[in-house]
Amino acid sequence: MLCLLLLCAGCSIRRVTFNDVVTPEQVNFIRVGQTTIRELADHIGAPDEVTESDFGGVALYYWSDTKSAALDFGAIGRLFLPYSPTMTLSKTGVTPEQFQVVFDPQWTVRAYGFSRRATDEPVIWFWPF
Amino acid sequence: MPHPHLAKGVIVLFFKPMTGIIVVLAMTLLQGCVVTRGTVGEPFQEEAVSAIKKGTTTMAEVVSLIGAPDRIVRGNDREIFHYYYYDGKSPAMLLLLLNFIRMDVKSDNLYVFFNRDGIAEEVVYGKRTGRTRFKLWPFGD
Repeated sequence: MLCLLLLCAGCSIRRVTFNDVVTPEQVNFIRVGQTTIRELADHIGAPDEVTESDFGGVALYYWSDTKSAALDFGAIGRLFLPYSPTMTLSKTGVTPEQFQVVFDPQWTVRAYGFSRRATDEPVIWFWPF
Repeated sequence: MPHPHLAKGVIVLFFKPMTGIIVVLAMTLLQGCVVTRGTVGEPFQEEAVSAIKKGTTTMAEVVSLIGAPDRIVRGNDREIFHYYYYDGKSPAMLLLLLNFIRMDVKSDNLYVFFNRDGIAEEVVYGKRTGRTRFKLWPFGD
């Protein structure tokens, strides 16, 4: 138990998730030229943003998973010494992702696609180099 | 001379050891716990959203039902009112040697599409904040 505590000493693990992930399986139902924005919202919820592009209206769905870990080598010293300086290694990875749908003037799907998908980062990874 | 309430508390802990153990245990277990909640905007009133009728409700009526939009967007030659609400829950455990901090944020969005006459043509509403959780464990999905 003591060894485990010493191994964990100075560890700080943070994670922030924003919105639900939209998977390719969830958008299998979309038929270009047939599916409307209303049907899209009925299946995967309302988009986070609706905007206009040169090709027509665009609906954007955002989600992200931020993982951050830090290891403070000064933490153990603080148990025994009146002062122990902070010596921290820290790494943060933010993976914002998007699902984009372009509509024709009748708000029927013209095209859709996912943003570049990031590789899945480990939750604990504090080596910054 | 000690404060009478303090003296009474000490007496209770001394003569009721079980109470004392429970209090100390609870304080030990809860020390370092942080619970935070953050919101942006106002949650939607479902009745107000369902009161918007396609083909009849005007722009002014939408504003009186829900309020002024957070954003006005133009798309496919139509005015679109965008309303949003964000809800974030963040539990944390800050111990002497180990810290866990997690935050879960979700959003609700409402779009009302108007035609050129200012009449609601389409209503798109999605609610995710009901699934926001106080989840501390940082591993897994």
